[in-house]
Amino acid sequence: MLAGGSFVMTDNNDRFHDGGSQEFSDETIRRFLLGGLSASEQPLFEQRLITDDGLDARVRLAEFDLADDYAFERLSTLDRELFEKKFLLTSDRQQQVRVSKVLRDRFSSTAATSSEEHTVAQRLRELFGLNRPAWRIAFGVLILLILFGTAWLVIKEPRIVRQIANRITPRRSTPASAPREAGHPTNTSMPEHQTTPSPMPEHDQTAAARIVLMPAVSYDSNKLLSVNLPKGEQEIVRLQLVVKPDQPGPHRAELLTVQGQSIFSADSLQSADSRANVDFDVPAHLLNGGDYQIRLSRSDRGKQEVVARYYFRVQ
Amino acid sequence: MTYEKIRRRLIAILASRGCISAEELADETIDRVARRVIDIRNAYVGDKAIYFLGVMNNVHHEYLKRPMIPRLPERDDDVEAKEKTHGCLERCLGKLTTNSRQMIERYYAEDKQAKIDLRRRIAEEFGITPSTLRLRALRIREKLQACIEQCLRAEAL
Repeated sequence: MLAGGSFVMTDNNDRFHDGGSQEFSDETIRRFLLGGLSASEQPLFEQRLITDDGLDARVRLAEFDLADDYAFERLSTLDRELFEKKFLLTSDRQQQVRVSKVLRDRFSSTAATSSEEHTVAQRLRELFGLNRPAWRIAFGVLILLILFGTAWLVIKEPRIVRQIANRITPRRSTPASAPREAGHPTNTSMPEHQTTPSPMPEHDQTAAARIVLMPAVSYDSNKLLSVNLPKGEQEIVRLQLVVKPDQPGPHRAELLTVQGQSIFSADSLQSADSRANVDFDVPAHLLNGGDYQIRLSRSDRGKQEVVARYYFRVQ
Repeated sequence: MTYEKIRRRLIAILASRGCISAEELADETIDRVARRVIDIRNAYVGDKAIYFLGVMNNVHHEYLKRPMIPRLPERDDDVEAKEKTHGCLERCLGKLTTNSRQMIERYYAEDKQAKIDLRRRIAEEFGITPSTLRLRALRIREKLQACIEQCLRAEAL
């Protein structure tokens, strides 16, 4: 239909009503179009066609169907001859056939794959009855429930979210420079370790153990603080790293083996206001028996500057 | 009834009779009715469309008395016209609703040997009967035809 000079296509499928045209079958309409009605049928059909909108609409649609059948080579030899002789007489119909051929060229090449894909999908849908609206509604409700549940979890249980985040953060790659740094201490004097492993305070529901670590100049296996850690997939060990007051955060803490293999890290760590400690929470399951180091660094003018190292041994 | 409707019906009838000048005779019929409409307007009783049919019969009889002019076969090798029609088809497909486009794509993407079986499957996919599918697809086809014709006319300007 034309609207404001431009063509607008709608899904108005009620444009054509059959009215009383059902006395003529589709086959009769087709014979009329191919000039095949008998001498007695022809006048009656003509009279009805000129007055009946419903029959006119059916004839119009039958013309498209016939043009498509011709373009898609679905007509018998006889019908094909009749089509060219009796149907293809007007410019309007010739244009119909042209469009049918263009449609054939545009779509028919995809026939094989398309029909196969749809067959499998259709069978699956039929098997599970997925075409039913009830299933669609059920899936929609399920997705909404999952979304709301996730949102609730994030809001109400930040501890779980943190644990998930910590699990994602661990990196097992070995920095190329790390072993060298660990193996070349600048000072061989004994580190001063003042460690106070303590049980988790009642109000702290995050860490199962807390260990205070003092910075050390170098690694000395004979003077390491030894700690026993809880064993459990969900347990968290809080390493309280003592830092100098003149080294404000945010800090980056990285847990490494003494050989320099990176195990775990956390960024944007801030020291608490009341104490010069940086809390570094590490999943307990990452700390198996062995010697470890923690490298604490902070960003200074875009560069990471190591401000302290800490060493400890897990029994 | 609109001029276009009556013209289309007259052409369909004349073509069915095997008239190779159906459009010309339909126009001649309408011209004659137009010339006489003032005279018969008040006196004529019944469906006006039937009057057109009567005049058309006269015009057709006169035509049959004329010497036959052989019809030239249609040439279908105009590559440029075909390309233009392809371009217009793409544009007109873009104007269809998603559902209509999907339906027309499935309807025409068929193997000629498997027409009935495939249409039955497509109809099941859309949750309709094969006859409803045919009707809907042809209605979309009709809209496409009108859109393409308008597009081609616009390109010719």
